[in-house]
Amino acid sequence: MSTRIMPHDMHGRPLDGPAAGETRLVRASDRLLRLLLRLYPEDFRQDMGEAIVETYRDRCRDAVRRGGLPTLAGVWFSAVGDSVRNGLGERARPSISWRRTGNWGRDAERTIRRLVRAPLFTLSMIATLTIGLGAFAVVFAVVQKVLLAPLPYERPEDLYFVWRDYSTIMDLKRGSLAGTDVTALATSGGPIMDVAAISRSQRTLARANVPPTDAAPEEIPLFVTTPNIFKILGVRPMLGRSFAPAEVGPGRTPVVVLGHDLWQRRFAGDRTVVGTDVLLNDIAYKVIGVLPPDVRFLKHSGLGPPESAEAYVTHTVDLATTNPGAGSYAGLLRARPGSSPQAVAAAVGTVGRRVDERDHGSRGIALHPVELIPDLVANVRPALLVLAAAGALLVLVLAVNMATLLLVRASERDREFAISNALGANRSALVRATLLEAMLLGIVGGACGALLAVWGTRALVALAPENLPRRETIAIDWPIALVVVGTGALLGLLAGMLPAGWATQARLSTLLRNAAVRGGGGQGRMRRAMVVVQVALSVVLLSAGGLVVRSFSHLLRVEPGFDAENMLTMRVPVPTARYTGDTLANQLHDRLQRELAAIPGVTSVGAASLLPLANDGNQTRVTFPGAPGNKGDEEHDAPLVDYLSTRPGYFETLGIRVAAGRPFGPTRTPGLREAVIDQALADQFYPGGNAVGARIRFGDDTLTVVGVVGHARMYDVHQDGRMQLYLRNEDYTYHTLQWALRSDRPPATLVQDVRATVQRIDPGLALAQVRPMSEVVDEALRQPRLSAVLLSAFSIGALLLAAMGLYGVVAGSVNRRRHEMAVRLALGADHRGVLRLMLGEGVRLVLLGLVIGVPGVWAAGRLIDGVLVGVSPLDPLTLVAVVGGLALVAAVACYVPARRVGGIEPAQSLREG
Amino acid sequence: MGMDRERPIERFLPLRPVEFDVLLSLAAGERHGYGIIQDAEARGLAAPPDVGTLYRALRRMQEQALIDGAEPREAPEAGGERRHYYRITPLGLRVARAEAYRLAALARAAMASGLLEATAL
Repeated sequence: MSTRIMPHDMHGRPLDGPAAGETRLVRASDRLLRLLLRLYPEDFRQDMGEAIVETYRDRCRDAVRRGGLPTLAGVWFSAVGDSVRNGLGERARPSISWRRTGNWGRDAERTIRRLVRAPLFTLSMIATLTIGLGAFAVVFAVVQKVLLAPLPYERPEDLYFVWRDYSTIMDLKRGSLAGTDVTALATSGGPIMDVAAISRSQRTLARANVPPTDAAPEEIPLFVTTPNIFKILGVRPMLGRSFAPAEVGPGRTPVVVLGHDLWQRRFAGDRTVVGTDVLLNDIAYKVIGVLPPDVRFLKHSGLGPPESAEAYVTHTVDLATTNPGAGSYAGLLRARPGSSPQAVAAAVGTVGRRVDERDHGSRGIALHPVELIPDLVANVRPALLVLAAAGALLVLVLAVNMATLLLVRASERDREFAISNALGANRSALVRATLLEAMLLGIVGGACGALLAVWGTRALVALAPENLPRRETIAIDWPIALVVVGTGALLGLLAGMLPAGWATQARLSTLLRNAAVRGGGGQGRMRRAMVVVQVALSVVLLSAGGLVVRSFSHLLRVEPGFDAENMLTMRVPVPTARYTGDTLANQLHDRLQRELAAIPGVTSVGAASLLPLANDGNQTRVTFPGAPGNKGDEEHDAPLVDYLSTRPGYFETLGIRVAAGRPFGPTRTPGLREAVIDQALADQFYPGGNAVGARIRFGDDTLTVVGVVGHARMYDVHQDGRMQLYLRNEDYTYHTLQWALRSDRPPATLVQDVRATVQRIDPGLALAQVRPMSEVVDEALRQPRLSAVLLSAFSIGALLLAAMGLYGVVAGSVNRRRHEMAVRLALGADHRGVLRLMLGEGVRLVLLGLVIGVPGVWAAGRLIDGVLVGVSPLDPLTLVAVVGGLALVAAVACYVPARRVGGIEPAQSLREG
Repeated sequence: MGMDRERPIERFLPLRPVEFDVLLSLAAGERHGYGIIQDAEARGLAAPPDVGTLYRALRRMQEQALIDGAEPREAPEAGGERRHYYRITPLGLRVARAEAYRLAALARAAMASGLLEATAL
């Protein structure tokens, strides 16, 4: 027996034939429409949904009758568009009806009203978020602008610097290129599109044909380059033109392109300066162009940080005819679009091997390209990554803190939630409301934080090292503000999830049960777990902060090998065009030294080709023939040393310790080229002492060691650089010297007199880099100082947040267990014991947090190892201090609320209970 | 919506096309949603309103007391299925009349300026 199931229409009448097909289609339409109706807000759906479905049903039935399935499909299609448009449109118009529920605008309005009714909660939450997200925004801005943002050149990813790798013959991976290297690269083709050869030089700038008051000479750094530099960078002058391809080499009109800053500062933005002449070291250059303000090209260097310049001139030599053995230029290479870094490296390597064979007898001197951004930020990258990690950690602590506060708030409202649930309130509405509240707080906090960070970044830029790459671009802009606000919203959503979950679970029955026993319940457990997480995160941040601060205090105490106090330093460029030959220069130096020493308060004057912490150096190989320390190994016996050319009085003025022998005397010893070496060099070749009197081969000359001095650091405050060799400037004359004046008055007060003295000797002399030596040392310490300031601020912030959490838990616990405590007291327990009981809870949480934090501390130590100086990443003293400090703060945070049990009057409490 | 009842008639004007369509249909008698759309199609002036647009207008006009929902009842043309019907309120009628006068005045003005021939009406 079989029953055939007949289709029925909605009134139960059996259908058959075409009518049955039509009904099936209409039912399908109904289902689609009911689905689409979900696009409308719930209340609208309740009021009008059924009617809309009916109307569409009529429409669909008509459509099927008129044109069958194709016409019906058209109706469905238009129904989708209709529902999307009107459904979302209806949701977006909260003002139409006050009675609306399930409406986004309405939800937001309610949330705002709820937040305004709890101003203390709202304000404290927003304040915490503002500070936390503000700190995050500052760190994010720095990391984004310095490490990530592209450089303002055309296709910056195709730009490379090329260096000579000498590592097969000496310890130098980033040597400058010879002019012939650049010509070979530029003509090699393949992925290499074009190459510029750039060197940097200091010139004294003066204006021709202007009143003497405007003509005061000034030393400026400039780039001497091939004419193709602006084409390679993709930069066009703002005024005038850039170099023509033929404007290079000897025997032509010298031309100069001014940087925007120089044009503004020195020429007051005068547009008619283009076409006029300026004097550079007394030679007339025609100004052909001015660069736009955003062009701040940096030449990367083999040693030390990238360098900027204020103007551009072209080479006066033909690069192809320069000495292949000399290294004078940085090579800036533009690759063909789409060439991979590997292809560029291979092409450069091939040219390098050809040049090595042709010019260096295949000694293995190689050429290698480096990418611009990684190279630019190589020095600051480790410190910035540590900051970024600390910022992320702080945001995490903040999220946990926010979740805790929201949870407390949710628990205060659990009666409301439970009653709403019991009355059949829409559960998703409760979740939505809680999440919306948290998200709204996050957004407001993010916006305030971004605003705060506008000032924060300014303060940070003031603190940041002068040579921090792209320092001038660090600021909060709209995209960054948007990211911060987004982070705030995300933070709110994350933090709101726990309390939202709590809200949906609130049951009247649980509430009643909890009211009866006054126990903790799930919410208390969650809060305690969050305190543990906060303590763990804080101990990680604190230990990182502590280590960085320790490292910084170590840096402050290190002895750089000279005395930076009470010393003014400056550079006096001496134009070779007017002081031709060494004799004239030495006469000028004699006079300068004599008259500068006569300034009241000046106790001694010294000068050298470079001063300590110059972050620069001149290197050469030297040998000590017949010295006992020779080992027969060339690498050891002919070391690359930094050599400095000095005036008499240099060591005395700088406060460099003379360990043996004597410093240079006031006059030369006839027939003797004197040398002073540093302790390291003396120890290497004369391990038993007696270096005084030793002979040194320096190029083709033989020097005699007259003294041994301590190492005065040239590169970093905290570590020695290459071994050092000092020469007399009278023997090896540098025209331009760095001067140091030791005085018994504050160095800044000397400047006026120094300027007057130099002008009196020669009004055409410029003064450059006039600053106290202590400023140079400060500058060298800026980056570690910045890290120390930021990291300690972050870790203290995290500690305070954790303490707040702990306080809240213990206070809540005291309140909740008041009744229990009263019973205990009534049964004979003493207050001390009850206090211990309450404290015990807090102590357990702190201990658990500390234990959980240990692996984090270890990982953080590994991460910051690279930026630590003189401190081990697991420095026991720091770790003990951090744990001790955390324990102390935690103890206070527990004790203050726990003390309240002392105020429990058993009889009264029990009566109230 | 007490406030809306005290709104002067002019404050409702001009009506949106969909609102005038609704009032025009309901002025002739009770209609369900599809009936209103069919009436608009029959007038043949512009594309009839989308269903969503129509119901948002119906809800708004209910709140403004221009129309009323009638008890759902069986509709003969829908195979006897039950349908939601709407009817016009006295306020709705006055508003519709005011809108019609406004349109007529516009039409006269259009004739006076030669945009519209007298035979068009």
